[in-house]
Amino acid sequence: MGVTCVSQMPVAEGKSVQQTVELLTRKLEMLGAEKQGTFCVDCETYHTAASTLGSQGQPGKLMYVMHNSEYPLSCFALFENGPCLIADTNFDVLMVKLKGFFQSAKASKIETRGTRYQYCDFLVKVGTVTMGPSARGISVEVEYGPCVVASDCWSLLLEFLQNFLGTHTPGAPTVFGNRHDAVYGPADTMVQYMELFNKIRKQQQVPVAGIR
Amino acid sequence: MEAPPVTMMPVTGGTINMMEYLLQGSVLDHSLESLIHRLRGLCDNMEPETFLDHEMVFLLKGQQASPFVLRARRSMDRTGAPWHLRYLGQPEMGDKNRHALVRNCVDIATSENLTDFLMEMGFRMDHEFVAKGHLFRKGIMKIMVYKIFRILVPGNTDSTEALSLSYLVELSVVAPAGQDMVSDDMRNFAEQLKPLVHLEKIDPKRLM
Repeated sequence: MGVTCVSQMPVAEGKSVQQTVELLTRKLEMLGAEKQGTFCVDCETYHTAASTLGSQGQPGKLMYVMHNSEYPLSCFALFENGPCLIADTNFDVLMVKLKGFFQSAKASKIETRGTRYQYCDFLVKVGTVTMGPSARGISVEVEYGPCVVASDCWSLLLEFLQNFLGTHTPGAPTVFGNRHDAVYGPADTMVQYMELFNKIRKQQQVPVAGIR
Repeated sequence: MEAPPVTMMPVTGGTINMMEYLLQGSVLDHSLESLIHRLRGLCDNMEPETFLDHEMVFLLKGQQASPFVLRARRSMDRTGAPWHLRYLGQPEMGDKNRHALVRNCVDIATSENLTDFLMEMGFRMDHEFVAKGHLFRKGIMKIMVYKIFRILVPGNTDSTEALSLSYLVELSVVAPAGQDMVSDDMRNFAEQLKPLVHLEKIDPKRLM
């Protein structure tokens, strides 16, 4: 586990999501990055069922329950700007029991899947973000393995990102700011994915012609 | 470098419906030593294990008549151990053929920000206590002998007071639903602890 930056790559002009993903992965292969299987990050949204609203009078908060193939036995539960709970996968069973209080928002499941590449100390994952049957965007995750303090290796990560993504290089993830000099952990990566998924959810759907 | 195993699908776990089979009893403080001695003889040969846990019971109230109850437990003597979140369903007494109380249960290991997270979910703490005692195992059976302490100042686990002059004894097995045969083994084991302690299937409704 190192320090990770998750960002969105816009679809290249005149290209489809799939073609843009291929462009990126080809670039990695040219660099000499080694293909290491696949990855998947998923996110299910739950909202407070109407039943609890009346008695507590608080606005319905959204809760996100996520999984990451990098941590196959864990389940991450998050609130926006709130705590991130790391639990084992029995947490999914608990959500079934909590059906009367928390309901999964219909058709809100969003996930990203793609190939995992190792390039020296960097782990790169380029994924297609899908919601239901439609491709909604591209996620790029870059992890620098040997360091766990974000502020110590951000410039190194940035240099790699600039080489790889060019003008689409992201700024420092907000989770870095919250935890200055603190040890970076898996929960920070999940917060970044949650933010990315929320951003993509709000964006216009890619026209059907562009999906293929 | 060897590629780590990466599965395409995250393992979305435990759809299996797990049940806890439970027998309960109690011993007075002065009988503790002889019970422990007996258990050491009967149970799996392992290092004597003790525990000191802080348990908080959280409620989520909705419009339903009964609130949703979750138990958060942390070890006070093993720092760095994960927190334990537990859901327990309605206990079923069943008929005479089943020798133990049965209730649905979900056990989850979590990170240490569990209480903050439960509050964020809308849960409120109802009560808390400290449990201190001994743990034994025999196969899949778990035997806990422990004393419950009342917390005098909320949140401060340093000032506690014993709730009674006795120890609670619990014999439990967590198994997939429908495996009622485990209650036979439990009864046989409970027989061997007589007359030091009488473990029974106690209907919690009777105590209310």
